[in-house]
Amino acid sequence: MANLNLTLKVWRQENPEARGRIETYKATNIPDEASFLEMLDIVNEGLVHEGKEPIHFDHDCREGICGMCSLTINGVPHGGKHVTTCQLHMRQFKDGDTIWIEPFRAKAFPILRDLMVDRKALDQIIAAGGFVDVRTGSAPNANNVPVRKKTADAAFDAAACIGCGACVASCKNSSAMLFTSAKAAHLNLLPQGQPEKNKRVLAMVRQMDALGFGNCTNQYECEAACPKGITVDNIAKLNRDYMIACASEAVGVFS
Amino acid sequence: MNDIITTACKFVTSSIGRKIIVALTGTCLLLFLVGHLAGNMTIWGGSEWINTYATGLHTMPAWLLWAIRLGLLAIVLIHVVLTLVLKLENTRARTPYQMEGTMKATLSSRTMVYTGVMIVCFLLFHLWQLTINGDPADCYGHVVHAFSNEWCSLFYIVAICCLFMHVRHGVQSVMQTFGLATRKVRPLYNIIAVLFGIAVCGGFIAIPVAVLTGFLR
Repeated sequence: MANLNLTLKVWRQENPEARGRIETYKATNIPDEASFLEMLDIVNEGLVHEGKEPIHFDHDCREGICGMCSLTINGVPHGGKHVTTCQLHMRQFKDGDTIWIEPFRAKAFPILRDLMVDRKALDQIIAAGGFVDVRTGSAPNANNVPVRKKTADAAFDAAACIGCGACVASCKNSSAMLFTSAKAAHLNLLPQGQPEKNKRVLAMVRQMDALGFGNCTNQYECEAACPKGITVDNIAKLNRDYMIACASEAVGVFS
Repeated sequence: MNDIITTACKFVTSSIGRKIIVALTGTCLLLFLVGHLAGNMTIWGGSEWINTYATGLHTMPAWLLWAIRLGLLAIVLIHVVLTLVLKLENTRARTPYQMEGTMKATLSSRTMVYTGVMIVCFLLFHLWQLTINGDPADCYGHVVHAFSNEWCSLFYIVAICCLFMHVRHGVQSVMQTFGLATRKVRPLYNIIAVLFGIAVCGGFIAIPVAVLTGFLR
């Protein structure tokens, strides 16, 4: 078991209005089996002992499934190892490394404090149409509603999105297209999502635009940063669905 | 009718809608590049060929010539204005990192606006030099005279290299924006984008290089 000594460059900001700055901390004697968040816990313990304000960061399940943890590590959301920050382990780093830790940055994600950001904009996109209006019942018997295996797989892959916002944070344009497209695709692909497909696509895309996210330029940074392997195929599908939805709206299919 | 106008207005102000328009105009410009290159290739047949080709272009009916010119101008304007507006919005939507990291975004995708501006500057110079101040009857002479100047040739070569980078991202981006890309075919689109860029830009660069090396005189 090797212990690491690291230098941390951490973004500190007292409140949403305050001017943030990078502060340097020493993280000493960090076991390499610790997770990234456990490393911060150790550093925070030291700060509390010294009577200083600990570093504030978001976290919840620490199992990689809730989407609460964030952190941009060395310029890459979640550190770019295809896992969430809570599942990123210190064995990925070398003794003596300098690690830059910043919040998920985007105008649509205002900083609350230090490394905590407000990601409610993503919830607002869901609230605009990322649901099925009527009760679809409990899980049906297998093969009761026939769904092609390929379609079911694609819907399931899209549904794996945990809404952490790494796609927005990694995007050079702060676009929420990967999130929106995954949330739209997982319902649009399935039979239960068909009746409201066009309405959903228009509502979610318009809400996304209204919230001040940027525009996708097909650089695919989102796909590389996503801890859940959501692919940009969903974005292509959303582009396609959006064209169809606009055409249907224009000729008054659901007005 | 009202529904159509309302939706159309929402479409041209939405993020995806504008991207689709940029992709459509971009596709038109890609096709124009192919046509322009095909015309330029007549230079390899000697002065006779290219002069006949250039004169031929000018002897088409005036209404058709101007329809093509104004159409191209409109396409370029839409493409440039929309991309600049999108770029402005994207810059506004983002807060920069103290430590920037890039994983997958290609250099060409990150420099689209710069290569685009370079292409517009080049386009203005190119039109001034060879269209406004050119005589179709002696197209060959004009081209050889223009490229005999090393600085002029260098500017053309640099500009066409920018065009290559622009096209390299543009081609695969068009397929994604039209919703025609999947995990399976995306690598193929990347290969097509690079090959298209090499073919078109290589074809354009070959002319100043041939003049500089004395192959065309």
